[in-house]
Amino acid sequence: MGFSTADTIVAIATPPGRGGIGVVRLSGPEAPTITRGLTTHETAFEPRHATLTTIRLKPDTTPAFDGTSTIDHAVVTFFPAPHSYTGEDVVELSAHGSPVVLRAIVSAALASGARLAEPGEFTLRAFLNGRIDLMQAEAVADLIDAVTPLQARTAFDQLQGTLTEVIAGIDAALFDLIARLEASVDFPDEGYHFVEPRAIADAVAALRDRTASLLADARRGRLLREGLLLAIVGKPNVGKSSLFNALIGAARAIVTDVPGTTRDLVTEAIDLGGLRVTLVDTAGFHETTDHVEAEGVVRAKRAQEVADLTVVLLDRSRSFDDDDRNIISQTADAHRLIVVNKVDLPAAWTACDVVPDAVPISAATGEGLDTLRARMMTALDVESLDDRPEITNVRHIALVERAHDGLTRALEATRIGGGSLTEEFVLADLQDARAALEEITGHRATDDLLAHIFSRFCVGK
Amino acid sequence: MNGSFDVIVIGAGHAGCEAAYAAARLGARVGLCTLTTDTVAHMPCNPAVGGTAKGHLVREIDALGGLMGRAIDATGIQFKLLNRSRGPAVWSPRAQADKKIYGRFVKAALDAEPNVEWLIGRAGRVLVDHHRVVGLAMEDGDAYESRALVVTTGTFLNGLIHIGAEQHPAGRADEPPSRELAASLKSFGFEWGRLKTGTPPRLDRESIDFDRQVAEGRFAVERGDDPPVPFSFLSPPIERAQIDCYLLHTNDRVRDLVRANIARSPLFNGQIHGIGPRYCPSLEDKIVRFPDKERHQIFLEPEGLEAREIYVNGFSMSLPRDVQADLIHALPGLESAVLLRPGYAVEYDFIQPTELTRRLESKRVAGLFLAGQINGTSGYEEAAAQGIVAGINAAHFGGSGSGFELRRDEAYIGILVDDLITKGCLEPYRMFTSRAEYRLLLRVDNADLRLTPRGRAAGLVDDERWDLFKAREGRYERNVRALDETLVRSSSGDRVAASHLLRQPEVRLTRLVADGQLPRFESDPATASVDVASVETTVKYAGYLKRQEREIERLGKEERRRIPLDFPFGRVPGLSKEVVQRLTQVRPDTLGHALRIPGITPAAIAVLSAYVGRNLEERQ
Repeated sequence: MGFSTADTIVAIATPPGRGGIGVVRLSGPEAPTITRGLTTHETAFEPRHATLTTIRLKPDTTPAFDGTSTIDHAVVTFFPAPHSYTGEDVVELSAHGSPVVLRAIVSAALASGARLAEPGEFTLRAFLNGRIDLMQAEAVADLIDAVTPLQARTAFDQLQGTLTEVIAGIDAALFDLIARLEASVDFPDEGYHFVEPRAIADAVAALRDRTASLLADARRGRLLREGLLLAIVGKPNVGKSSLFNALIGAARAIVTDVPGTTRDLVTEAIDLGGLRVTLVDTAGFHETTDHVEAEGVVRAKRAQEVADLTVVLLDRSRSFDDDDRNIISQTADAHRLIVVNKVDLPAAWTACDVVPDAVPISAATGEGLDTLRARMMTALDVESLDDRPEITNVRHIALVERAHDGLTRALEATRIGGGSLTEEFVLADLQDARAALEEITGHRATDDLLAHIFSRFCVGK
Repeated sequence: MNGSFDVIVIGAGHAGCEAAYAAARLGARVGLCTLTTDTVAHMPCNPAVGGTAKGHLVREIDALGGLMGRAIDATGIQFKLLNRSRGPAVWSPRAQADKKIYGRFVKAALDAEPNVEWLIGRAGRVLVDHHRVVGLAMEDGDAYESRALVVTTGTFLNGLIHIGAEQHPAGRADEPPSRELAASLKSFGFEWGRLKTGTPPRLDRESIDFDRQVAEGRFAVERGDDPPVPFSFLSPPIERAQIDCYLLHTNDRVRDLVRANIARSPLFNGQIHGIGPRYCPSLEDKIVRFPDKERHQIFLEPEGLEAREIYVNGFSMSLPRDVQADLIHALPGLESAVLLRPGYAVEYDFIQPTELTRRLESKRVAGLFLAGQINGTSGYEEAAAQGIVAGINAAHFGGSGSGFELRRDEAYIGILVDDLITKGCLEPYRMFTSRAEYRLLLRVDNADLRLTPRGRAAGLVDDERWDLFKAREGRYERNVRALDETLVRSSSGDRVAASHLLRQPEVRLTRLVADGQLPRFESDPATASVDVASVETTVKYAGYLKRQEREIERLGKEERRRIPLDFPFGRVPGLSKEVVQRLTQVRPDTLGHALRIPGITPAAIAVLSAYVGRNLEERQ
């Protein structure tokens, strides 16, 4: 598939990983328009001036940020054509360096009509538009050579070993299945089945399971790099900040016994079994008339909604009341751990009657904290994060998702109305999946497909 | 000069006949040069037309106004729609031909064209002036003026037949090869290659007791469809009686005999250098390359209603005559069969089709068109498909018209030509449905909807076919509308649009029509299967078709960006030497085409796209 030079491309311009500042760069005729759609800035950006604005993502374009409309402050710099790096309209968005934020910005730009830049495409455009002189033509020629299918394979082979094996394994199995189905269609009179019709659905399902687990691993991989979010919730004064401090091992949050002290979200990162976990200490969940405090409660709820794990904290030394019941019912759908605090004080109620799975601790004495850490690791599935292949590249994840969608449709085709659609329909979707995978692994041609058939089966009269 | 034509066609095989017919119908005065009119539209190998993807080609040739579909419908002796158990996108008609009558039918069709004149003799030299065709000199010294020449010499260029150690120069059995013509074509500097193909022995029908072998379980009877599905959109229902074919299998004795004599096979002892087709393996290949396969299918196919010869399909070989006889006699039920002719392998020269434009005109010599096996293809259908393209363009050549070109997304013929001119041939090229990116859109049932308007625009579709087509197209459009507008009862008792109900997998259009649920459905008895299939597919698989249409649209931008014929690839900065060389050789006509050339990268296309349409001098 060729890429056009007339559209608008986007990519994260700073190296992967966490940094102080991350830059997203757009180039092409729509770059300023797309950027305005992503920010709260009302007027045109002044050329070559740093403009401070706020990134505002619409929920419909960034489902991951559903409910969080404003995500970060950013500095926008607009370089109009032709005096820009690429010679086209270029916009650079500098935001805080969180990969989550940068990726969300890129996703939103894609949803607004930009295209993910191919490797080296900014440089290529710079060359095409005469921004790089011919002295550098050699380098560009190298670049051109670097996108041959063979080199794509080489680049693919340079990915992490386990991941290469997994994707190449799926690709090879898919290729073989496609070849057999193609042979069934092109050689219907050979007197035998290239693949038993009943086995097709199972073969597709097996492939789909593999893309599904690859995508799940991709999510885990992201967690490994970027860490997890763990929110501590509970009614006021159950000891959320004490637990927070006990877990980070320093008195960072303000701890008083006046309910509602923690109005802002306080966060701190800890190491949990080698995994970076960001703890969020929240305002107490309770009915309040103080509007500053109410804002804190709203934020707390939002943090809890996006958290990978929620710790629901109860206080055994005070009576179990409606606030506690509300919190338990509000977090029923969340991935959560229920923790009963202040077990060093006289009990006001019996935990094992109400919340049998609860972890008993005392944030004040440190009792039960090791058990809690272990339970948190189990709940976050930290163990399973080790030694899994992970896809790090946004483009690769998108391609695996496309392959997965194709396999899903193919699977539906094999299970329609109790029977199956015939091979040519299943193939239409499998070929889509194959095209996506082979954008990662390097393309194979139709001739290779035929060669595969001819080398494995004695076909033809 | 002994005469003057607009177009001379060399060779009266399937490519040549289709080219001559098309050019003549377009008003060109055509000289059709052949050694003898006894072998017009000859079938030297399998006496059959169609098959998977090949059946598509024949329907497309017919939809454009060509001959092949009508010829096989008039002379077929057994018809089968392949892939009937699958969806309409991969249905493919195939038919056994009475090969003598087939040839006579095509000859008569050409005789009936006042614009066709036979030139009997051996073509010698292509006459050229300033890289343009001006005529043809025959070996006997006669010469004819012509502005366009279509060369369709099949396997005749330096043909060499092998039967064991026996070798003799020939185009096919008993016909001499073209040497002077080969030298003349070579003098233009084309890139050449050498290929190989083969054919099985023929048996005497009288020497085989088919009924007894069937009764005793050695042969299985293979019957045709009842009723047969015709190839041509013009053909009336075929009511002819059909012949039976027979299926048997090879056994251990066949395997052992091949193994014992493998050193005497020219394919395996180094005598043959040409590359054969992998999809049509010789018996030697089957036994040697697939040792685990216990038995192979063999079909016995009569070559005509009255013909003595039985074609032994699946038994192609180049072993010595005595071994061939032993092998035939080793087959169950053929112990006393009489060999009429041995099988053989033939090696021949072909011109790499990357030398050609999308109109099948050579890039080195203006007005010189090539079609058929000379371009590295195999198969009568592939040859005929190229013949019609070359014929139309040869007739238009020198005129003001824009030329006749088909895209990959509109016809298998478009795929065939595009593959040839883009990739060249490493083995004899055969069409497969898997070569089509948009298989679900390129069906036999809609070949007319896709191509008859193109044939009309090119001038090949006459009023009779056009009127039939307009009626059929009207029926199709009204039927699709009627399905949306007619309410029918679903299995749950609700009343829903018929088109909605039809999308359920188990609901069939013929059922709805038979049940009287679709009173507005129109069908012509002559084309009922086409009427039903195109409406049903359009409605039932709308989701799949739309997805493929969107994909065509998405890639269409590049497909529509034309590269001028004289575009100086060498002056584009930043392209590697290899890329420039490939581009200069193939001379792609669009950016999409450039991208399909092996070794051309997306990045190179991006560079190209920036320069196509710009004045390259300006940037120096």
